[in-house]
Amino acid sequence: MKSVLVYIDEDALAYSVDLLEIARLMYGKRAFKAYALSAAGEHAEIQSLFDYVCIPRKESLANFEAARIAHCIELLHREYSFDAILIPATHCGRMIAPRAAMRLRAGLVADVTAVGTDGDEVLMVRPAFSGRMLATVGCREGGPVMMSVRPRAFSYQERTLKAGTLLEFNAPSLNGPGIRLIERRGKAESHDIRESEVLISGGDGAIRDFPQMERLAQLLHGRVAASRKAVDKGTAPRSIQVGQSGKIVSPRLYIALGISGSAQHVAGIRNAEYVISVNTDRHAPICSMSDIIVEATSGSFLNGLLQKIEGSNQEHPGG
Amino acid sequence: MKILCLVKLVPDVDQLRYDREKNILVRDHAQLMLNPDDATAVATALGFKKEHPDTSIEVVSMAPSGAIPHLEDLVRRGIDIATLISDPSYAGSDTWVTSTILARFLKGRAFDCVFCGTQTLDGGTGQVPAQLAEALSISHMAGIGGLVGLSKEEGAIVDVEGETALSRYSVPLPAVLGFYYSPKRKLPYIRYEDLNRDVSGQISVLGNGELGFDSSEVGLTGSLTQVRRLETDALEAKDPLILNADEQGISFVYAILKQKGFLRT
Repeated sequence: MKSVLVYIDEDALAYSVDLLEIARLMYGKRAFKAYALSAAGEHAEIQSLFDYVCIPRKESLANFEAARIAHCIELLHREYSFDAILIPATHCGRMIAPRAAMRLRAGLVADVTAVGTDGDEVLMVRPAFSGRMLATVGCREGGPVMMSVRPRAFSYQERTLKAGTLLEFNAPSLNGPGIRLIERRGKAESHDIRESEVLISGGDGAIRDFPQMERLAQLLHGRVAASRKAVDKGTAPRSIQVGQSGKIVSPRLYIALGISGSAQHVAGIRNAEYVISVNTDRHAPICSMSDIIVEATSGSFLNGLLQKIEGSNQEHPGG
Repeated sequence: MKILCLVKLVPDVDQLRYDREKNILVRDHAQLMLNPDDATAVATALGFKKEHPDTSIEVVSMAPSGAIPHLEDLVRRGIDIATLISDPSYAGSDTWVTSTILARFLKGRAFDCVFCGTQTLDGGTGQVPAQLAEALSISHMAGIGGLVGLSKEEGAIVDVEGETALSRYSVPLPAVLGFYYSPKRKLPYIRYEDLNRDVSGQISVLGNGELGFDSSEVGLTGSLTQVRRLETDALEAKDPLILNADEQGISFVYAILKQKGFLRT
């Protein structure tokens, strides 16, 4: 029987639980014991999905306390000898996983998007060169298989109910002062572009059109997103950046305005179902993966489409 | 305050082109450039030095000797010294080996703070800063958008954009601080009189002779992870319909949006 540890990031519960799908793909449905590490101590929402939930005794570790959490992972591994340690590639997960791998002297593969097996060996696939290449990576034998996993790359559907036995452990402390949170503010936009079915995305050629894009997004019940160039120019916040260096999205409709489609951007929308690209150059890289190309400036397209939709809404009020 | 900046040179990924016929990534024309996140880290250090002139900045890079002109460039922009860690036996090192090499170098160096990027354009694992911090048993924070304060007494105060919130942290020194690229913090221009300044005295090159690893500990043989295959991620090319933003084109898009249920009227 294999055993797998999943680190639960309290800021990304659903993405953390999804990592059980990787365990299922590697070892089969019933051939592994699932352990969760909930450093924050929360366990109600995830308890029924794991065989064991490890929580620190009488305290709660925040997800940014990466050094301590990495130490916890090491201690738990020494006790339960996991075959695999899976960590979501969230902001904090990406700080914890390398530290834990260093402590365990284990190979670590970052931002995994697919897994496979070759005999007994686990092979992990991750994007490289800003999403243009896929690297298949194996780890040297001996240590546990360790990976950080791209949120949304896996989805755990076949949920099996499990015992969820609580295992308390003594969390190690640091020799010296640790990182302290001074202030935390929720982001202005309450929704994650990854959750949206419709994205209206603007790039270099649509820098002045973001207000109109916002109007179109409202009419289509979607959200506004942006390319790296628009973010680098300061037009849009990093939180809505699409691409390998931003967020990987899979909307049903993606309207790309003034985006040429650099390699890393295209890597972020490969799972978009229907793509409309508006570009003055019909040979821009993004056009080859589009269903419709509108050869125009983003401004003229937005004006035309907004007039059409808003005009037709007036003809059929209440529609 | 002594700041050590770790930088990596990466191929300019925007210059990478995909050859659909041969199904390969064409890298020939891609020039090496300073990784954007790392450039912001250096620019932030230079900005801090401007306000606190008693600051010294050393740039450290692990790369083949081709990196020297890029390091000279950074010296001309105002950093104090640069060190290139370069040895043929280090080629092919994974993040674990790279962090181990950098950690051994840093253990012999006095510093208050390490500045670096959050991740690189080529590998993009973002693992080296965290692994280095672990090897040195010091704090690490990634994804920094702004440096609010930095002093030996108070440590570093940094702003970070996470998944759900913007957070301000206090990080005790010494620490590894990983920055995100910001267009607002650019490297300063090289002053005219510095364009051809001889800076060779401010650059040193260090090899395994100084660091003393066994050949089995570094490079591909020392690595804990091994890349088995590197494939181009072929995208299925669609057969797009080309329209204009005239009445006909707009009406077509409108009809498609209705047909697919995105417009509920």
